[in-house]
Amino acid sequence: MYELNICHLYPDLLNLYGDRGNIIALKRRSEWRGIKVTVSNITLGDSFIPENYDIIFLGGGQDYEQTIIQDDLLKSKGGEIKNAIMNDKVFLCICGGYQLLGKYYKTWDGNEIEFLGILDLWTIGGRKRMIGNIAFECDFLKSESCDGKVIGFENHSGKTYLGADVKPLGRVLKGYGNNGEDDCEGALYKNVYCSYSHGSLLPKNPAFTDHLLTLALKQKYKDFVSLQPLDDVIESRAHDSMLKRIL
Amino acid sequence: MDLRLSLTIALSKITIKGLRLLKRGGTTLPGKIALKLYPGFIKKITQNFKIIMVTGTNGKTTTSRIISQILKENNIEFISNKSGANLVSGIATTFLDAVDIRGNFHCSHALLEIDEAAFKSLSDFVEPDILVVTNFFRDQLDRYGELYSTLNGVKAGIAKHKKTKLVLNADDSLCASIGKETDKEVVYYGVNSDACDSLEDNTNNDASFCLYCRTRYEYKSHIYGHLGEFSCPKCGYGRPASSVNCVKVLELNAEYSNIHFSINKDGNEILNARINLPGLYNVYNALAAAACGSLLNLPYENTIKAMSKFECGFGRMETINVGNKKIRLILVKNPTGFNQVLNYLLTEDNQMQLAFLLNDNLADGTDISWIWDVDFEKLDKIQHNIGNLYTSGIRAEDMALRLKYAGLYTDKISIIKDYKELIENALNNTPEGQNLYILPTYTAMTELRNFLRKKFGLKEFWK
Repeated sequence: MYELNICHLYPDLLNLYGDRGNIIALKRRSEWRGIKVTVSNITLGDSFIPENYDIIFLGGGQDYEQTIIQDDLLKSKGGEIKNAIMNDKVFLCICGGYQLLGKYYKTWDGNEIEFLGILDLWTIGGRKRMIGNIAFECDFLKSESCDGKVIGFENHSGKTYLGADVKPLGRVLKGYGNNGEDDCEGALYKNVYCSYSHGSLLPKNPAFTDHLLTLALKQKYKDFVSLQPLDDVIESRAHDSMLKRIL
Repeated sequence: MDLRLSLTIALSKITIKGLRLLKRGGTTLPGKIALKLYPGFIKKITQNFKIIMVTGTNGKTTTSRIISQILKENNIEFISNKSGANLVSGIATTFLDAVDIRGNFHCSHALLEIDEAAFKSLSDFVEPDILVVTNFFRDQLDRYGELYSTLNGVKAGIAKHKKTKLVLNADDSLCASIGKETDKEVVYYGVNSDACDSLEDNTNNDASFCLYCRTRYEYKSHIYGHLGEFSCPKCGYGRPASSVNCVKVLELNAEYSNIHFSINKDGNEILNARINLPGLYNVYNALAAAACGSLLNLPYENTIKAMSKFECGFGRMETINVGNKKIRLILVKNPTGFNQVLNYLLTEDNQMQLAFLLNDNLADGTDISWIWDVDFEKLDKIQHNIGNLYTSGIRAEDMALRLKYAGLYTDKISIIKDYKELIENALNNTPEGQNLYILPTYTAMTELRNFLRKKFGLKEFWK
């Protein structure tokens, strides 16, 4: 029997609006296929050993909570996170968690906050919040059974820009994406998947969930080939109804 | 006589009448018009009222209802914004409705439920004599922004006032911080740490870290969410001593709660009360109201009477009898409130039908991802008691998806968008003597009530 270990980093701090929906989706879609999942919550002061996990999740937080983890992240867990990323570990990082992997966050009045600098990207605070339903298209999800279109909800004022080493996660079809300027949404670097689409990103986009699970299982088990299909009628209805509404 | 004031009042009153003739609530538009015509009118007509305001994330309406019953028990006449129209425009309409054309009024008190995000701007116009703050939980992020900015907004509003006395929740570290930062008179209320068992784990805590020094709070006891006996091991900020206390929760069932409570200023006598709404969260609402009554120097006998007979608010456990089946409406707005409603459902021993109505209009919050923070997983414990799970509203599909991922049986889940079809289908499947629980978000509640009003003659909501 296959097993997956998922690490939820700072679940008590980076848990803005439904981020744990992503964990629930990874867990359920594994369990429905007989794959055992263990979720470990790792927070401030806990030791973090990336080798113990197959998928690592970093969500978004309110400004207040993000300032609390700053120290722990830069001084303690940052090095391990970097090693894990370089060793092709599967990461899903949303909103604030996405920004934290970049070089810095510059507030709109000029203060620069140093971030982890693992990914070649940076964020500039904007005065206008980019809020609303979003749809974007991901090439890596395209297959016979999936058109690669992902839906979600974004709510951020930071505008993120990607350097040369990092590819966008997808192309914006509707909404703002990284900065509302270059049609890019999220970031993709090695096996790190970053998006501004918070909350229930994975449940409504089962192909994305399955993509992450497949990656992690292939890394862990040499004999693993593919996931068995599931009945996704409700998932498709949630996905398609929003796509139809905003496109 | 202030001609501009009279003209403003007259025009607004015509609008109120007109809207009601058209069977529209007319609870905000007249105020909007008046504010355009004469922005300073509220200040003018409110200065002679004794004003009680209730704000906070959850429990505003119910707390207001209990206070309103307390006032009634003491024969105090008052006006209130009963229908949940609690933005500045709604408050303006409330006063417009109550004054005559010269700006004179017939009663002494005003009881106002105020949106926590609107409180700051309203503070420029109206100064309350008593401000009751229920709690702060995460709410619609797209509308209110982050929790801390909401809290700071309320603090900034309070700073504009001079005479206001405060009623604050001692168990909420965010709410209690208002009292720490002011020299105004404060009455704290709370639930004693040994009054009841904690109901849930608190993995998704809205305020785990000290507001002042960012150290993780220690809890001697947790009531629910981040409410409990908190203290910061580093800077020493902790739950303040409270004077209105629930000493013991004697009984929590699906219909009501029995509690022992005390109001210190009346001696340490233990008082017995029945709160005629179920759920621990309503114990807090009752305590907040009792604290307000104590600030008004009203006899506690009347407060106890009020707790046992107040009218439930707009969609707060409103019951409609259809033959001997019951439809029960419970408004849901945010994760903590929703979790409390689910805890309540766990106390229901009988079979039930459940309908979840999820809209994403502005008043509901356009972002519905908060449903992933609600512990629907706990319904698994009572799956055998659930007949069918219906989802409806604009985001019915997302709601169905959430229930599926909570591990509830998909063959019990039906998506029915049309309210007529939903109610007929759900009632048909409700056996005689049993309950259909409907849990809608705000605008779904309004729409559904309009439908139910036509079908079953439900009370019109602005009455």
